[in-house]
Amino acid sequence: MSVNNLLENWSQFRHFHPVDDKPHDPYKWAMSIDLDACTGCNACSVACYAENNLPVVGKEKYAHGQAMHWMRIERYWDEDDRDFPDQGAQFLPMMCQQCEAAPCETVCPVAATNHTADGLNSQVYNRCIGSRYCSANCPYKVRYFNWYDYPTDDNVWPAEMNQQLNPDVTVRGKGVMEKCTFCVQRLHAAKGAARSEGRIVRDGEVQTACQQACPASAISFGNLVDPESRVHKQWKAQQVELDKEEQTKDKKEEGGSELRGYRIFEELRPYPSVMYLERVRESAV
Amino acid sequence: MKDIREDIAWAKINQDVLKSLENPRKLYWVILFCALAAFGVGIGCEVYQYQTGLGVANLNNPYAWGLYISTFIFWIGMSHSGTLLSAILHLMHADWRKPIYRFAEAMTTFSLMTAGLFVMVHIGRLWQFYYSLPYPSERGIWPNFQSPLLWDAMAIFTYLSSSILFLYVGMIPDLAICRDNMHEGWRKKLYTLLSLGWEGTDRQWRNFRVTYLTIACFLSPLAVSVHSIVASDFAMSQQPGWHVTSFPPYFVAGALYSGCSGIITLFIILRYVFKFEEYMTKSILKKIVRLTFAISMIWTYLNAVEFASVWYSNDQASKDILIQKATGTYAPFWWGMIFCGSIVPLTLAFKRAQTNIPVLFAVSLLLNLGMWLERWMIIAPTFSHGYYPWTWDHDQWPSLIQWGMVFGSFGWFTMLFMVFCKVFPSVSMYEVKEMVYHRSLHLKKSETAEQGAH
Amino acid sequence: MSQRHLLALFNNFEDAEAAIYELRAADIKGFDFDDLTLKSPIEHHEVEDVLGQRSAKVQWFTLVGALLGGLLGFFLISGAQANFYAQIKGGKPIVPFPPNFVLTFEMFVLGGVFISVLGFLVCAGLPAKRSPLYSAKVSEDQIGILVKADESAIAKIKGVLLNHEALEIQEEAGK
Repeated sequence: MSVNNLLENWSQFRHFHPVDDKPHDPYKWAMSIDLDACTGCNACSVACYAENNLPVVGKEKYAHGQAMHWMRIERYWDEDDRDFPDQGAQFLPMMCQQCEAAPCETVCPVAATNHTADGLNSQVYNRCIGSRYCSANCPYKVRYFNWYDYPTDDNVWPAEMNQQLNPDVTVRGKGVMEKCTFCVQRLHAAKGAARSEGRIVRDGEVQTACQQACPASAISFGNLVDPESRVHKQWKAQQVELDKEEQTKDKKEEGGSELRGYRIFEELRPYPSVMYLERVRESAV
Repeated sequence: MKDIREDIAWAKINQDVLKSLENPRKLYWVILFCALAAFGVGIGCEVYQYQTGLGVANLNNPYAWGLYISTFIFWIGMSHSGTLLSAILHLMHADWRKPIYRFAEAMTTFSLMTAGLFVMVHIGRLWQFYYSLPYPSERGIWPNFQSPLLWDAMAIFTYLSSSILFLYVGMIPDLAICRDNMHEGWRKKLYTLLSLGWEGTDRQWRNFRVTYLTIACFLSPLAVSVHSIVASDFAMSQQPGWHVTSFPPYFVAGALYSGCSGIITLFIILRYVFKFEEYMTKSILKKIVRLTFAISMIWTYLNAVEFASVWYSNDQASKDILIQKATGTYAPFWWGMIFCGSIVPLTLAFKRAQTNIPVLFAVSLLLNLGMWLERWMIIAPTFSHGYYPWTWDHDQWPSLIQWGMVFGSFGWFTMLFMVFCKVFPSVSMYEVKEMVYHRSLHLKKSETAEQGAH
Repeated sequence: MSQRHLLALFNNFEDAEAAIYELRAADIKGFDFDDLTLKSPIEHHEVEDVLGQRSAKVQWFTLVGALLGGLLGFFLISGAQANFYAQIKGGKPIVPFPPNFVLTFEMFVLGGVFISVLGFLVCAGLPAKRSPLYSAKVSEDQIGILVKADESAIAKIKGVLLNHEALEIQEEAGK
């Protein structure tokens, strides 16, 4: 009975997240991106288009802001009276931050987006009715809406092009929201393979498409709970903790810390799963 | 100034109001035809959008909401004054509401229906709309009760159904009058059915009074909660410019404001079209105008409070949005809102303007234009200058499809309203009688008191 | 003994009121005062002084409806949240109070209003067939007194009503 269930598991239902006494077990997928290594080459973005069957919307719709790049390279320009203005270009690869307390999840009227047991922010396409509230409330603006019926009406994969679609990923029809999944299809495959051998996924066994394509190895991805993983070591080295909204680096005045790791919009408390490593300042070199 | 006469014959009240069901001025048919045409435009736009996808509305990825949501808030706001007049003023025993609350209440119902349409046209997969309803399914899937949008759905459902019941219950005695006076035909059958066999017995009246009062008690806080919840759609989010504590009262004030000016507009139209000069008197108009003026000043004050609290806060993102509003791409509209919402109502402070019908008609339309702009200016700047720098100065102008649907919604509302006024008595006959009766009693009493004094 | 209906129409409320007072005082055999019904185009509060407190019970419907609506709302929502494949959303508890209270309030109002209207229909005896004697004048401007009494008492009652300037008296055809 529902009321019985409610009363018996009361404390479980009143549990807030994230807290450090209840870590994800055995998986918490996380990422770290080294901005010093990033050259802004866009290979990650292209890999993402190929892996996740993203529609290429064309020039006109791109100009309308209707592009579907789950992984986008943002370029910021900061000339600062340099001798070589090009040095002022900075790149930021931005994708869904898979927040632990995601602002998009609470506002969805049909519960189409949820926090999964392995620490992802899932998007259920079949459930989505397209209210776009998640996008409105996302601080990073990394959610993309299918403004047209790309697979059929819009013909973004003409003739033989549809042969190159990834069979592990569905194509999305019009009217649903989508976003970076941390290549969840690969995670599922890897977890399944590991489970059949009675172990958990080892570090390096699963890569996201963007990570795989990055020529500078700027992206590392893995299980944050696993102490052997590269991501875990990086987060630890930078003293970035998942369930804190202020890290050691933030407590020192700007430039006063050797630490480079930060998360974007930590002060809004979404507890994102992606750590960025600051560019090494020229002055500091 | 002429008010409703105390010595007006009750039979004449019946006659005059029932006449509105028979032969309105020609203008009625013109308005109805225009409304139908406008609604047709809206339907056409929706069909095209449904077929093609929401992209035709010219929304885009960070800029995901547009005129649909702004106009949704606008119509929800319009609905609030009906409740103010019919429920809140009823509880306060304001007698003057009696001749005009019926059409105000109808306005509530129909603007809620219009607002509901905007939720429909806004969502990406209209055909899956029922996912947002809390129905038991074999898969045990429920909607997300945490979402302010779901509160919205629930609040609007409650408000709409309660308003319809309130409107209907309050109309039963009048429906009985219609039943007794109509010639045979489908309308007679309709009134017979709807009046439920009302005879005006003491038992019926007694229960009627208690019920009416009870629903009024429920409706007043309900109306406040509905617009607070609409405000929560924004205030509960994290976005700068939306995450504002004062939003719920600000929205409620704005709702009453636009609703009151909507009532003035419709008052003037109805008075002329259905020849209700005898009942919708200028002295009543004057009272609504004064009420509107007061509410406009409250709205202005709350606006100023919001700006001040943003300005003196330490929240740079919100501050930037405020600066954007006043100086950015949307500045003409934002200043237009300030002009229409805060400057134009100052004319209502002048006694001569308070009963000047052409002036009031123009002013009330301007006020509502201002309130519509207000809603748009809540939505648009946050999308064009939110937290994330990548989205900054990314302006998006609504396409003709969006404008077409906004236009169509006015047609839909006018159509419903005009049909209602032709089918149901838009002036409450029994309550006008009550008003006249109590006034004459009062007169008699004061006369005898005077005689006693001599 | 067979009973018959009688409807008298009055021009104003004072006359009708006086007639009722007299009928009440007269204590006519074969006529129960509770069988007297006043019909009026508007509500007259004063009538309670004459007819005595015939109570209205709609409030109890309202109370029950509102409470049931609120309880149903809270438990339906919380139960659904707990049974729905309980997944965390936005780091909030699975059964979060603030939203549930908002929805509980809405359900409270919804229950209150719906059941009040139901209560109104029950208490006012609607929908009903109209009583055998009905005059459209009552919905216009006249006051009607409908009396049900034994045939023997009819004549006396008629006399009292006519004394108070009844405009018109309708009688049910005798059986």
